[in-house]
Amino acid sequence: MGASSTLLMVSHGHCLLCFSCLVTLIAHFESHLKPFLFFLSISLSLSFRRLSVSVLMGLRLPSKVLEHIISFIDANEDRNSVSLVCKSWFETERRTRRKVFVGNCYAVTPAAVARRFPKMRSLTLKGKPHFADYNLVPDGWGGYAWPWIEAMAAKTPSLEEVRLKRMVVTDECLEKIAASFKDFKVLVLTSCEGFSTDGLAAIAATCRNLRELELRECIVEDLGGDWLSYFPETLTSLVSLDFSCLDSEVKLSDLERLVSRSPNLKSLKLNRAVALDGLESLLRRAPQLVELGTGSFSDDLDQEALSKLAKAFAALKQLKCLSGLWDVLPEYIPLLYSVCPRLTSLNLSYATVQMPDLVDLLSRCSKLQKLWVMDLIEDKGLKAVASCCKELRELRVFPSGADLDETDVALTEQGLVSVSEGCPKLESVLYFCVQFTNTALVTIARNRPNFRCFRLCVMEPFAPDYRTQKPLDEGFKAIVERCKDLQRLSVSGLLTDKAFEYIGKHAKKLGMLSVAFAGDSDLMLHHLLSGCESLKKLEIRDCPFGDAALLENAAKLETMRSLWMSSCFVSFDACKILSQKMPRLNVEVIDEHPPETRPESSPVERIYIYRTVAGPRLDMPEFVWTIHKTPEIGVSNLAIKHCCGRFTFHTLYLISILFPLRC
Amino acid sequence: MEISNSYSPYSSSSVDSTKPSPSESSVNLSLSLTFPSTSPQREARQDWPPIKPLLRDKLKGRRLLQRGGGTSFFVKVYMEGVPIGRKLDLCAFSGYESLLENLSHMFDTSIICGNRDRKHHVLTYQDKDGDWMMVGDIPWDMFLETVRRLKITRPERC
Repeated sequence: MGASSTLLMVSHGHCLLCFSCLVTLIAHFESHLKPFLFFLSISLSLSFRRLSVSVLMGLRLPSKVLEHIISFIDANEDRNSVSLVCKSWFETERRTRRKVFVGNCYAVTPAAVARRFPKMRSLTLKGKPHFADYNLVPDGWGGYAWPWIEAMAAKTPSLEEVRLKRMVVTDECLEKIAASFKDFKVLVLTSCEGFSTDGLAAIAATCRNLRELELRECIVEDLGGDWLSYFPETLTSLVSLDFSCLDSEVKLSDLERLVSRSPNLKSLKLNRAVALDGLESLLRRAPQLVELGTGSFSDDLDQEALSKLAKAFAALKQLKCLSGLWDVLPEYIPLLYSVCPRLTSLNLSYATVQMPDLVDLLSRCSKLQKLWVMDLIEDKGLKAVASCCKELRELRVFPSGADLDETDVALTEQGLVSVSEGCPKLESVLYFCVQFTNTALVTIARNRPNFRCFRLCVMEPFAPDYRTQKPLDEGFKAIVERCKDLQRLSVSGLLTDKAFEYIGKHAKKLGMLSVAFAGDSDLMLHHLLSGCESLKKLEIRDCPFGDAALLENAAKLETMRSLWMSSCFVSFDACKILSQKMPRLNVEVIDEHPPETRPESSPVERIYIYRTVAGPRLDMPEFVWTIHKTPEIGVSNLAIKHCCGRFTFHTLYLISILFPLRC
Repeated sequence: MEISNSYSPYSSSSVDSTKPSPSESSVNLSLSLTFPSTSPQREARQDWPPIKPLLRDKLKGRRLLQRGGGTSFFVKVYMEGVPIGRKLDLCAFSGYESLLENLSHMFDTSIICGNRDRKHHVLTYQDKDGDWMMVGDIPWDMFLETVRRLKITRPERC
């Protein structure tokens, strides 16, 4: 890198920018490519004076060579950068991309994606905004998978993997997938809804090479456990099966046979209906499991059954992740001791055991990296975690409901302080707590400047620092100041505009921010939109900002994936202005009542704004209103939105001038 | 574009405990933030704290269990005109039929749900919002979560 910068210092004119772009690109490539491309850049720059843009184009690499180089590039961010260099790189890249990620299913049309990436093997899509998880998006809003499945079935039938998050998936979709993609291997549905177990049966019956079928927290119309029996006897390729969100009992004998004939099965997550005797029989048949989600853990077992189960657990020599454990009885916790020393991930969100039992378990998990637990663990339990689990990277503490009514709270801010002190690798936290203090936040920030994800939910809205009665501004200031790599943040408690000034000033790498019940005025939004350079997703509820901040920072919205606001003070008028001003944004007003019937300045209920090259969507329900735009500026189907966090906006703009692209 | 100055800047002391219903909200510029931190409506919120549906159901289940200490949930039952009430464990019943049967037996009169009838007593309940409602409209599980006390009314009153 040093040598090429020296060469750059000597060059003039347009070429300077070409080469700086090229070299910046190179710097981000895989290390084994660097020597080749480095050489290339030096040899090109030696004759820099004579090079103009067209000559550079003339020096293009043979497409086979280029294709070979690009095939080493996996990360989509790098591929997006590659596709912006020049037309031939764009063409080569798009023909070789196998894994496609679309962060907002309405940002681009399925047809455009299918056209651009004909060799697509894997498609990942996200639909509804994140706040849909908390019932803030009314049913029927959208996020339908069908248009995508239909388009891919027609254009890219060699699709093998589909991963959907927060989308509406119907049985027809599942049947279409089963019928259209001959070599279908992976189906992962996270927080999806709209389908029944009949759709699952179609997948099970038809996809002969199915490897992964995972239903993570989906809402499924459960018509019974028969679907599992549809896996044919010839299916032996299963690697991962997760049906933990289903209610009905599946036939144990079918499950046993399926597990027995799946030698590659690494991950098995059962639903609650699978009892302990069933679990034992399954574990015996799959001692190679790496991830296990048990069923209900509270049946009455006699001594013999208990020892059999203990033996089955002890045989799981490769087990790294454990979850399920619904209603686990304290007396069964010792059954898990044999797997604890190897566990790297433990999900106790459904295990309603008390602190002493949790400590017994966790003190044996010295390799634990990820822990999800209920607040029943209390401060004392977290202190134990801090001293035993030195490898901990991610901690989530969920409310058990106990604290909402009681004044006697055993989980306080002290728990998180202990963990931040004792666990040097901790980088991701989701913590639900009744109240907090600034001192605790400052201490946590000082202990752990390596946070990437910090989500604190103070459950009492507007709760100030309970010792000083001051807002939590100073506490969050410490977090954003110290944690330079912070990518995701959720704030809560009593916060004034000052808190957001600090966030805007310091949180330069912040990609996603969630705010609820905070701020005093427009300034809060203004600070965020004008300060946070890397902001991609912003979701806000019940905050008192209004039109001015939104309109003033309209341009920022096109650099973000989306902005959600509910129960704020934005008027329909402002939405209209914003929509007309910004043709590449969809401004959706989600309101029970036609916004026109409101007085002009009256606030709308919810707004969802996202950048798109697909124009306003056509599948909106009656409670979603978008505003008609004036004639659109022609948009390229280059999907500039996927850009390169690594390029600044200006560099991009210059590249598009230097290397004119015809689309 | 100017911000209309007719709404007051938010401050924590001005939280209104009533959420404007759809029919009232259109002209209310001083939209009070909708979270009632101390009202009894708090338990019914489906969107706070921000946890996913599966966990929320689990919470509901736990609260239910906690109230009765695990397996019982006693509510007071009054018959109109009778000053002394009774106490009844709702967890002992599987549904509305067994509840009615038991109550009819306990108060030695015929009690029904729902439809007004000149002859029979009608069972009503007070929910967690404090309103008196007719028993039998909602699913049994939902009823268990929301009921606070029962009242057997005289027929003419309904």
